[in-house]
Parts: sequence; C-alpha cells; structure tokens
Amino acid sequence: MVRKKFGKKEIFIGIACTLFALLMLSLYVWHQTESVSLGYDSAELEYRVIQLEKEVEKLETVKSSLLTLDRVENIARDKLKLSEPEEEQIVYEDIEKER
Amino acid sequence: MKSYHQKKTKKRTYFLAFFFILWLGVLALRLVQLQVIDHVKLKAEAIQQNQKIQKIEPKRGSIFDRNMTILARSVPRYSVFFHPLENESHSEQWSRAKKIGQTLRLSSSKLSTIRAKINKDDNFIWLARKIEEQKATQVLNMNINGIFLMEENKRFYPQGNRAAHVLGRVDIDEIGVSGIEYKYNTILQGIEGEGLILRDAKRRRYSFETLKPPVDGKDLVLTLDETIQYIAEKELKNAVLQSQAEWGTVIISEPSTGDILALANYPTYDLNHLPNPPTRLDRNKAVHHTYDPGSTFKIITLSAALENKSVGFEETFDCTQGYVVYAGNTFWDHERLGILSFPEVFIHSSNVGTIFIGQRVGDENLCRTIKQFGFGQRTGIDLPAEERGLLNPLERWTKISVASHSIGYEISVTPIQMLQTLNIIANQGVIVPPRAVKKIHDTEMEALSPLPYKKAISEETAANVRNILLGVVASGTGVTAQIPGYAIYGKTGTAQKYDRKTKQYLTTAHIASFAGVVENDRPLFSMIVVIDDPKGHYYGSQVAAPVFREIAKKILRYLCVPPAKKSLDTLIASKAGKQSNE
Repeated sequence: MVRKKFGKKEIFIGIACTLFALLMLSLYVWHQTESVSLGYDSAELEYRVIQLEKEVEKLETVKSSLLTLDRVENIARDKLKLSEPEEEQIVYEDIEKER
Repeated sequence: MKSYHQKKTKKRTYFLAFFFILWLGVLALRLVQLQVIDHVKLKAEAIQQNQKIQKIEPKRGSIFDRNMTILARSVPRYSVFFHPLENESHSEQWSRAKKIGQTLRLSSSKLSTIRAKINKDDNFIWLARKIEEQKATQVLNMNINGIFLMEENKRFYPQGNRAAHVLGRVDIDEIGVSGIEYKYNTILQGIEGEGLILRDAKRRRYSFETLKPPVDGKDLVLTLDETIQYIAEKELKNAVLQSQAEWGTVIISEPSTGDILALANYPTYDLNHLPNPPTRLDRNKAVHHTYDPGSTFKIITLSAALENKSVGFEETFDCTQGYVVYAGNTFWDHERLGILSFPEVFIHSSNVGTIFIGQRVGDENLCRTIKQFGFGQRTGIDLPAEERGLLNPLERWTKISVASHSIGYEISVTPIQMLQTLNIIANQGVIVPPRAVKKIHDTEMEALSPLPYKKAISEETAANVRNILLGVVASGTGVTAQIPGYAIYGKTGTAQKYDRKTKQYLTTAHIASFAGVVENDRPLFSMIVVIDDPKGHYYGSQVAAPVFREIAKKILRYLCVPPAKKSLDTLIASKAGKQSNE
C-alpha cells in the first residue's frame, strides 16, 4: 500500500484549520473563564457596595449620636466653660428685617 | 499443541477480562444507582451544595424628626448560632457551646437554656443575638466548627432616651411593640425578599440573583423637633426631681396644624438600654393617663357660658365667703376672693364663682360643650393606647355633677385632651387633631392627608375665652407663666387626686398643671405641663406654670422670636441699621 503524500498547500490548510480550531477553542475557554472571573468580581463588588452603604449609614448614625444635644451641652458647659446668655445679651438678627 | 505459556496467558486473559467486566458491571450499576435510583435525592443535594435560596431581610425604615435628625435607625449587627456536627455527643456539643458562651460572657441562665436545647437535640440554637462587632470578630477568630455568624439588623436610637415614649421600642426581631414603632410597624417593617446564590466546588459565591426583591420599610418624618423635645425633657426632669413628684408630662404642639413639637414624660428610659422589665416605663402618660383636671377644665365652663350666652361680661359673683354648699357638698376657694366679675372668676380661678356660672349654664349645655371639645373621645393622635378619658352621659349626672364638672372633677381627661382644648381656643374654635407623624418619607415625599376639621365653638366665643385667659397670665393665677414681651394665655390647675381604693379625693395628693398658648402675630405653640403629686408646693401656679415659662422662654429663643415690646435698656446690642423702631 502506497501512502498518499500531501502537498504543501494541503498541509498548510490542515495546520491552519487545526490552529483555527485551537484558537476558537482557546477563545471559548478564555471567554468562559473570563465570564466566571467577572462573575466573582461583580459579586464581590456588589457585596462591597452594600457593605459601604451600610458603613455610610452607620457613620451617619454615629455622627448623630455624637451630636446629641445633651452631649453638646455638657461639652459646652464643662469643657468650654460656656454658659447660657442673659436675656439682654441676645440679639435677634434679621428678624426685624424679615418682619 | 498449545504450550504451557499460551495456556497460562489465556487463563490470565480470561481472568483479567472477567474482573474487567465485573468492574465495568459494578461501575454500570453504580451509575444506574446514581443516575436513576438516587437521581432525585442527589440532584437535590447537588443543588443544595451549589445553589442556595437566601432570604433578603428588608431594612426597617428610619425615623427622623421634622429637621431630619435621625431618631431611630437599624444598623447591622451579628448574631451567633450553634449547629451540632454529625455524630457529636451532647457533652461534646456543650463543650463547644460553652467556649463561646464564656467568650461572650453569657449569663448562667442563658447557658442553662442553651444546654437544655442541646439535650433536646435542637439543630439550631441562638447563642447570642445582635452582638457588638468586636465580640463578633472574637467569635470568628476562635474558628470553632459549627458556630456561625449571621448578619441581622439592630434598632439603634442615636439620641438615647430622647422622645422615648413617642418612638417606642422594638423586640429582638425588630417588630414594634410600643410608640410609633408599634403604630407604624407595617410601614416601617417592609417586605422580605428572596435571592439565589450560586457557589462553586469550593463553595465560593460566584453569582447572586435576586428572585424577589425585598421592599425596604419606609422612613417616617415626625412632627417632633429634637431641640424643643430636648428643652422640654430637661426642664421636666428638673421640675419632677425638684418637687419630688411621682411623674410629669409635657406636650408642646403647633395649634394651627396639630403637630406635636415635643412630648416628654419623666421618668423615662434609654431606648438602647431598656429597663427590666421594659414595660414598667412604657406607658406614655401624655396620651394614656387619665386624671381629674381641676381648674384647667374651667376653660370649658367659661366657653359654655359664653357660647350659650348664659352670663354677661358685666355680671358679678359673690365669692366673699370662700366656699359654697351645693347639693349638700361644700366647695372651697383657695382663698376668700370677694366679689368678682365674670372674667375675674376665671382669672383668679374661683371655684365658688365657677360653680355659680356652671349652675347658670345648666347641666345640659355644659355636657354638650364638654362633648363638643372632644372629651370622652380620643383626640385621634397617631400614637398607640390613647385613652378616651371618662365622661358620664348626662343621664348619669347627679345633682352635684354640674358643680363638679364646672371645676374639673367627676371627669377624667388625658393631658393631650387638655392640650387640644387650648388648641381649639387658639384655632378660633376649630378642632385640629394632633398628630405625631408628618410624612412618610419615600422617593416621592408622601404627605399624610389631614383629617377633616370640625368646629367646637364659635370664633367669637374663642376670642373672648382667649382674652380672659390672657388676664389669667397677666394678673391672675398664671402670673408665674409670664414672659415679659410675649403674649401668653392659659389656665392653671390644681386637682386633688382620686383614690380608686377608697373612692375618695385625697387632700394630701394633688396634680398640678398649666396649659397655655404663646402667641406672636399668630399662635406659636401651645403647651401643657402636668406634675403628679408634687411634695411641698403643689399648686399649678407654683409647680407647673414656672416649668411652662422656662420651656417657653427657651423655645422662643430657639425659634428666634424676639419680645414684642423691646426697649433700649433690654437690648444692648444690635447690628447697625437693623434696630427696630418699636
């Protein structure tokens, strides 16, 4: 039996087809891997956004608790040694104008 | 003839082929078992490993004051739960749980409850709920199998005890049990959602799909003003402690809208650190407690007399004796007041004079006016557990009833009902129901629709009542509520407490009150102060009216309302060109 010999052109087409098939396969695998990887990133980012939103709310709440009026008054009286103004020390700015 | 080796090879080949076929057969059977027999079960297991349906808790709505200061908000916290491992004995489970219990410093009673649950073979046991972040990290670092952390929300009140009775509280599952938290629970709570989590072989989450989005609770904007609330709470606390009273309450409202600007009770409690049991201080006395109002109720007698034109302005009443005997009962004045004109009877709060006037009004007219002012009915304030008070129907009135009702006895009212009386006068006879919630804060600010208004008395009557009540503060029993430069009207009240056991009024225990309105060009705010059982001084003018004055003074300062009559000696500084010519 005589083995058929392929011409250069046929060999080139064969290699090209194989390479193309390999390329397509690689692309498919790469696409799949990227999709999964982006899925991880996206899930992580979504989780992070939620966590940061919670953090913002938490900080707002902490800020609010630090600005409670009794706390502010205590600091004003005890640390800054401030006291309430007498009636005659009060100036009602702009009120007359608004009237 | 086959050689020995060929035979041996053939035998080995058959032997191997047999085992190979046997192995294939076993494999095939196993595949049948996995793919056919256990298909449903295994598929479910695979889904369980790979997919998870997770409940998405809605976020409970926050509560703000009218200036958008946060009064209540849910913040994330971790809860620790315990799950027994496979084939683990009770004692092994207990030793694991105990370790965490020690770290979290759980009480011995809590630990014994956990142990009892382990012995009952419970699969899910809460060890601690809504713990601090620091403690949650400690638990996480211990890395004990079968101990899990779950993120939950915990209600946090940044202002501590501010407006505790208005806000109310929630239980461990964030369900409102009192106050606004209870009344508006369905709006605040929201609706639970569902999500699908996809995990890989290493159980890492790579996809999250929301199947049913949660509906977060809506935020509420209250009518309260945090600063006014603070002023009221502070002054009330001082007054109750100074007078060694049992309790006290202050309500401040804007008459034209019925908006409650402040509602304070003392004693109160910190919403973040509840007393044990919490129900002990839960009652919002401002809307829940009923009492005989005493002289503040004379406003109704005055209104009835004017509305029914029963008495003329120029008429006088002889109160020189200082007492009157009516239907066999003696009613006393706080002092002998002589001959008083119709307005003076109220300005000096004469019981004797008011009973004479009540007689002239008649029981039918008086009862009708009392009903028109809304006594015996709820005001409709959007706070839970509001009491109606007690108003006997006319058929059950006795001979003494007209006299008793005239001076505020034989009737039980709530502080909010008395405040509404003042609001009716300030609103020229119109009843504007009080409200504690201003808006349901959504993407579109949804304003709550006002209730239809009714009229209790005529404009003319309301104006005349107002003028007489101005006299109460200017020169009568309410002078201690006076603030120079501001128009204030109101009425003091000192009522003997009713003892339900002996069914008698006590001469040694009183309720002191003052209800009044501060005006500028229009009514600015109304306020009622009620102090229960003050020791020493017990008159409304001595105990309640000064509290009214102190609170009103500070609110006026806060609202930047200057005194109407300013003189140069009281105003020492002003910007050039801005000084008024008044």
